[in-house]
Amino acid sequence: MDPIMMKILDSSMVSVCREMGITLMQTSYSTIFNEALDFSCAIANTDGDMIACAEFCPAQIGGMPLMAKSIIKEIPLDDIYEGDVLLHNDPYRGGLHTPEHTFFKPIFCEGELRGFAVSIGHIAEVGGMVPGGFPGEATEIFHEGLRLPPIKIVKRGVMNDDVWKIILANVRTPRYNYGDLRALISAVDLGVAQMTRLYNKYGANLVDQTSKDLMDYSERRMRAEIEKIPDGIYAFEDLVEDDGIEDRQYKIAVEVHKTGSDVIADYTGSSSQAKGPINATLGVTMSATYNAMLHMTDPDIPKNSGCFRPIKVIAPPTTVVNVDFPAPEVGGNTETHPRIAGTVIGALAGVIPHLAMAAEGCTHGNFVFGGVHAASKEFFACYDIEVVGWGGRSFADGNDACDSINGNCRVTPVEVFEVRYPWRVKEWAFREDSGGPGKFRGGVGYTKTLECLNDEIIISQMTDRHKTYPWGLKGGLPGDNGATLFKQGGKGNWKNAVQLYGKASPSKYSNISIKKGDLVSLVMPAGGGYGDPKDRSHKAVKQDVAEGYVSINAAKNIYGL
Amino acid sequence: MKFSGNGLYVEKYVKCMNCGVLIYETDLPKSVDAGDGKLYCGKWCLNWAASRAERKSKESA
Repeated sequence: MDPIMMKILDSSMVSVCREMGITLMQTSYSTIFNEALDFSCAIANTDGDMIACAEFCPAQIGGMPLMAKSIIKEIPLDDIYEGDVLLHNDPYRGGLHTPEHTFFKPIFCEGELRGFAVSIGHIAEVGGMVPGGFPGEATEIFHEGLRLPPIKIVKRGVMNDDVWKIILANVRTPRYNYGDLRALISAVDLGVAQMTRLYNKYGANLVDQTSKDLMDYSERRMRAEIEKIPDGIYAFEDLVEDDGIEDRQYKIAVEVHKTGSDVIADYTGSSSQAKGPINATLGVTMSATYNAMLHMTDPDIPKNSGCFRPIKVIAPPTTVVNVDFPAPEVGGNTETHPRIAGTVIGALAGVIPHLAMAAEGCTHGNFVFGGVHAASKEFFACYDIEVVGWGGRSFADGNDACDSINGNCRVTPVEVFEVRYPWRVKEWAFREDSGGPGKFRGGVGYTKTLECLNDEIIISQMTDRHKTYPWGLKGGLPGDNGATLFKQGGKGNWKNAVQLYGKASPSKYSNISIKKGDLVSLVMPAGGGYGDPKDRSHKAVKQDVAEGYVSINAAKNIYGL
Repeated sequence: MKFSGNGLYVEKYVKCMNCGVLIYETDLPKSVDAGDGKLYCGKWCLNWAASRAERKSKESA
């Protein structure tokens, strides 16, 4: 192993991935890409192992290898040609959920297939029963949009028009989908071009060998981190509050078996799969487990499949952590993933408390909507990501209003949101006292109140934490939960979807018709606290009060000021 | 994974009963059929339940 070459190549490939991301961001049409950055770019080898990625979404990074391996099993390597672009989004074949579309473009050097440039992006509108892709009341995969098995969307550099026609005929926003899909393809086009330069510069054998060395290095680094954790079996459970169909809770249960430099995360004991769309695919459960371990180990370890090798995941079929066809699953990647990651963190918190964090809000809000623009008469659809407070840690407060642990996405700025969509943002403010009290308090959530300016907007949502609370650690108190509230015509009392529209769940619903003048308030949950609130420094409490994070009442009664 | 005869669609997503990974035809030689429709991706998964019980017993001892 040549450590200098390894570092040069790793840095170069990470830069390629970053460039791919910038290309995707700048050429995409939808705010989910160009504002929220809900995508990832990576380089994979011909075994489907990820050899490099950049600072994108942990959910997609962890799930990518399984998707790659699946596509390689179904489209043989000797049936892949220069200029092809492969695509699939099948959640049951290693995918994360229906909106996540993964593109693979082969990298050839010296006439041989060497690997793939990969882009994964969350397409906001995928057909199905609601505009925006998150039907909170889905009961089968066919409600959730168009499912694509591994196919070639471009063949030897020529667009496969038949595939494009089928995809674009089955979505509400074909113009936007076309633009976004082309952006994802442009990212892998650039990835292939840049990787080809690297191969030509250093030679194929050196690049391939160094990539293997890099994965072995990451494995060694991860094993060294795992060795620091005491051997043992550590259990933890958390709940998803309902599935949008039935008012019952679903358990995520993990036993983390740590032996030497190996970790086995066994989710046997988790609930059977749900009727509604909270089920996680195997790809989600694997990526959530990796995500948790990456959070509790050295962040400088190069992120590739090597660092996942010491981590084994057991997710029995037909459970909420490994859904079987044709049960719905769209919420698993955004709502259940954070729960799964949280159980691993919670399990290990007892033995590595300095590396753990109290529960975060564990939701992306998943507020989706669609309608016809009054002026342009064109259909619009949007997946609006909302963010949450993170849990307090042994050394710091939780992040305030940050994307949940599986994403690394941004909120859409008000200015862009109001120009693109017929809403007015009446309020967007941190919530005082929402962060779980602790020596290190939980990060706060926020309230975002919208007024509908269109004759009609159809909204749906797939979120959680309206009934359950983000747990605290080491004596820290739970963070506040969230809500979605409505005022018809802007008048009267705030009511939730159950009270006003007769839905089964306040946090998961489909196709509510919002009229001009109606208000929708998205209240986002906060993070749990870490440590006894009475141990929080008075200076910190006073600063919290001065900045509006904590009320004077709470400062006196909870923090003991 | 059980594909239709014409290869155009999936008839059944076949998974390991323990870890849940998909088992394709190319994986069958390594897999273990425990009967009663229970297929495991390999011996490690077939033996995991017993191994887990032993680990927990040692842990509590």
